[in-house]
Amino acid sequence: MASKEAVFSGAKDLINQLSVVIRTSYIHSPGNIAIITATDKFISMINPLVTSEGELTLELGGEFFYLNETRIRYPLEYLSNFDFLSREFRKRELGSIVFKGVPKGLDMQDFFKAFMASVFSQTPFETLSEDISTIDSLGIGRLRKVRDENIEGNADIRRVVKKAYFNAVSFTRGVINRIKSGERVGIRKAKRIVESMVDMVLEQEQLLLAMTSIKDYDDYTYYHSVNVSILSVALGQRLGLSKKALTELGLVSLFHDIGKIEIPLEILNKPTNFTNEEWKLVKKHPFWGVRAILRLQGFDYMAVRTAICAFEHHMNYDFLGYPRLRSPIELDFYSKIITLADQYDGMTSSRVYSRVPMSPDTALSIMMERAGSQLDPVLFKFFINMVGVFPVGTLVMLDTRELGLVQQSEPVFLDRPRVVVIMNNRGEKIEGKVVDLTERDPDGKFLRTIVKTMDPNKYRINLADYML
Amino acid sequence: MEVLDDIKAAKEVISALLKAKKSFRMYPENNPMYAKIIDDTYLKFKNFFDYKEELTLKLKQNEIYCDLEQIYYSTQKEDNLALFFFKDGLREITFKNGFAKKELEDFLKILTVDYDREVLDDDVVTLMWEKDFHNVKYVVDESFLVEDENYETGAVQDVKGKATGGDDLARAYSDAFEEHGVKEISIVPLTDKDLHILVKEIEKDGNEKTSKIITIIFEMLYQAENKSEYEDTVHFLTDAIDFSIRHGNLESVIDIMMRTKEIVDSPQVSGEIKKYLNLVFSFAASDSVIKLLGEFFDSGVEIDDKILNEYIKFLDKSAIKPFITILGDLKTIPARKHIINALITLGKKDIQSVASGLYDSRWYVVRNIIYVLGKIGDKQAVDYLLRTVNHSDIRVRKEVIKALGELGTAGVLQTLKECLDDPEVQIRTSAARSLGNIHSTAAKGILLQKLSGKNFIKKDFNEKKEFYEVLSHWKDNDVVEFIMAAIKKKSFFKRAMNDETKACAIYALGLIGNKDVLPLLQKVKDSNNRIIREYAYTAVKRIEYGQ
Repeated sequence: MASKEAVFSGAKDLINQLSVVIRTSYIHSPGNIAIITATDKFISMINPLVTSEGELTLELGGEFFYLNETRIRYPLEYLSNFDFLSREFRKRELGSIVFKGVPKGLDMQDFFKAFMASVFSQTPFETLSEDISTIDSLGIGRLRKVRDENIEGNADIRRVVKKAYFNAVSFTRGVINRIKSGERVGIRKAKRIVESMVDMVLEQEQLLLAMTSIKDYDDYTYYHSVNVSILSVALGQRLGLSKKALTELGLVSLFHDIGKIEIPLEILNKPTNFTNEEWKLVKKHPFWGVRAILRLQGFDYMAVRTAICAFEHHMNYDFLGYPRLRSPIELDFYSKIITLADQYDGMTSSRVYSRVPMSPDTALSIMMERAGSQLDPVLFKFFINMVGVFPVGTLVMLDTRELGLVQQSEPVFLDRPRVVVIMNNRGEKIEGKVVDLTERDPDGKFLRTIVKTMDPNKYRINLADYML
Repeated sequence: MEVLDDIKAAKEVISALLKAKKSFRMYPENNPMYAKIIDDTYLKFKNFFDYKEELTLKLKQNEIYCDLEQIYYSTQKEDNLALFFFKDGLREITFKNGFAKKELEDFLKILTVDYDREVLDDDVVTLMWEKDFHNVKYVVDESFLVEDENYETGAVQDVKGKATGGDDLARAYSDAFEEHGVKEISIVPLTDKDLHILVKEIEKDGNEKTSKIITIIFEMLYQAENKSEYEDTVHFLTDAIDFSIRHGNLESVIDIMMRTKEIVDSPQVSGEIKKYLNLVFSFAASDSVIKLLGEFFDSGVEIDDKILNEYIKFLDKSAIKPFITILGDLKTIPARKHIINALITLGKKDIQSVASGLYDSRWYVVRNIIYVLGKIGDKQAVDYLLRTVNHSDIRVRKEVIKALGELGTAGVLQTLKECLDDPEVQIRTSAARSLGNIHSTAAKGILLQKLSGKNFIKKDFNEKKEFYEVLSHWKDNDVVEFIMAAIKKKSFFKRAMNDETKACAIYALGLIGNKDVLPLLQKVKDSNNRIIREYAYTAVKRIEYGQ
């Protein structure tokens, strides 16, 4: 039997090749030599795996592919093919392909023919399932929205995520207070906190992002630090960074605003606009950030990286932010990520000087205008795809005349999130009803669709009532 | 009661892990013992997997359980395997069938890190987490990470307290039928170009960050407004120097020094600021930094001399003493060579400080310092060198005589002359060579006087040959005549010794290469003495054919 490692190491190439076959099938007619060659290559890759494993299930779960329950990791250069394949699966509501035995060349050719044809059907999954029913070596499974989810399990997961989130905030508060009092802060504990956040992002990204959408806490500084860290890690994950790199990014971003501890509270919490003098002080916080980090942490790799990002996070992609430097530098990759997370969380948070925060979609619109000037345009593309067309916390009107809040983006259907309904179709306040906008009626038509988005802050809607 | 086979196998796994924990780090990866430890431990795991698909170890402070059976117990603080995992929050570890050798090797590395001695920001859980094992799962109790048990409850109550008013919701509902439609924010497709840019960016992200932080610290320096800010930035610069040297990054140190110098040299900068900045230079020349530098040199990493020289140029004379201190501690020849070269450069700024190394108790340090003083080439060094001519170690004395010859002042002649009478032949020949190096008329005179002495012929053949060879450096007529006279000299007593001396003189003529002496040499070529014949033959050939 081949070792698990061998299965995993070849898996990314397998997905890539599957994607190549489908792309080729879009260009050529069935039976074309290009399709046959690509299919044969796919067979040559999958057969040893089926032989060694007995049965092989290739499954799409959320945004990832799994091979016999193990998530397939892939390098960035495979991203476009992975994305393409997951879109093709979704179009057909196809969740998995099961290789029950070693498939023959003709079996696979028939499968791809049926696969391509099914896209034109009103009920693509059923059509595909029927068309391949005669192929003994292959089976398919319907797309599941969230892997192994059940209501009770979901509630437990939410509790765990919530606990991890508040734990991180409480820890950050403790650390910042210790730094304020001049204590040296060890990094081991901080790493453990960030590692658990990274785990949450990898497993329950949407639930953790939902936690960042509640912005009405009094301790803005601590929540903002944690939110920026979560958003940065989530973005880093989309960029294919390793777990180790994600921890680094999470740590670095957690302390991006540490320099603000030097700004007097009466200025930081000022309800009115800053005077020029006050602005001058505020603009010094990147310098103070470097100073605080290097003073407390000494000079090591992590401290240097953290200090660099604390210094650069307001410099902007076009270097027209602050501080302005005498000698030119290139912005750190993490700084560019943190700038995005920082702006988004800042804009959508309630602050002393701006009690009414922006709605998530308004913030995204503004950020879209800044892409290429203040913000890195490529990273912004990833960011917007991450927070979704309808970010968590968006107030939405459904075509069923129900009013709701986006509770969780749906990674498979990005414009069809889960929504917690807060008013029914008669305009009465209700509680506890969560609807999934990917649900269809027996004719295949979606049960609910978003028709309008609104600003929840305008109506003083407290997201915590619905999200916590 | 009979112990079940799987429990027995689990106990053997624990024993193997304990054994590995003790010895694994002792061997380098290419040592056969290293592979053997992995193989032995792997075998124990494999044995267990013959009985069960998973080995789950439940961890308590002093015990390890497998299937409710205690398979390990220890109350020790050191070398307690249970406590080792337990202290960082690990409560359960499961090894799955398929646990590969590579995974085991990584696991053993984590198991054998000396967490107390090594400066690590990672604990056991972090290291395991980073490894992301496919076949090792674990359960961690994170309660010790919780800062405030009640924080969550308080925060949730607080934020929920800001309840939504029913009227607002009603207003939202009614507005929903009037407001604008769905905002146009669509999923943005990523192009191949985007991905290409990103891949490049991620590749670039691996570059070292020191030069960037140095730039930032200098920006802080430019914008510093008060004493405390200057102090801080200078402190960071010194930290950056320390960090860079520890990582063998001399380029960054040079960068810091160069930028600091630019500021110090600027007329616009106040004396107060310059005072702070000069601390950077003193730090770079301090004992601790030079010690680090020595360790770096000793590590065997190849060092670009150009970069090293560039660095040394920025050091002031205060670095001399620390360099001398480490000179005797270094283990490798290349490392000592680097320090010697550094001292030659720095010594020009302060001969006296270099000369203080002559009093070092280690003979090899003194020899190196003499070499340095000789290479500096400053005549002032002579006074210091003369004091070591009578050093107890002959190797030192040889070196000092050589150095004196290189410096070649008139003041050294008397000493060299005295050395020609030293009881040690090596000293005598060294002194003769040094006189040859000085190459002055006075030096020639001393040598001729020695060669004319009545006891000269009694010297060992090789010593006489060495003296004549030195004499041949002067190709003056009086030297040629002196040598010819020595060859022609007739003697009835001590004939063998005389013939040896003549052979040495013939050898010297050959080296001088003057064709006028050929008739004499042709004549002595037929001598009855074999050595004279041979030397004359060689000398003629050398003069005639330049061989």
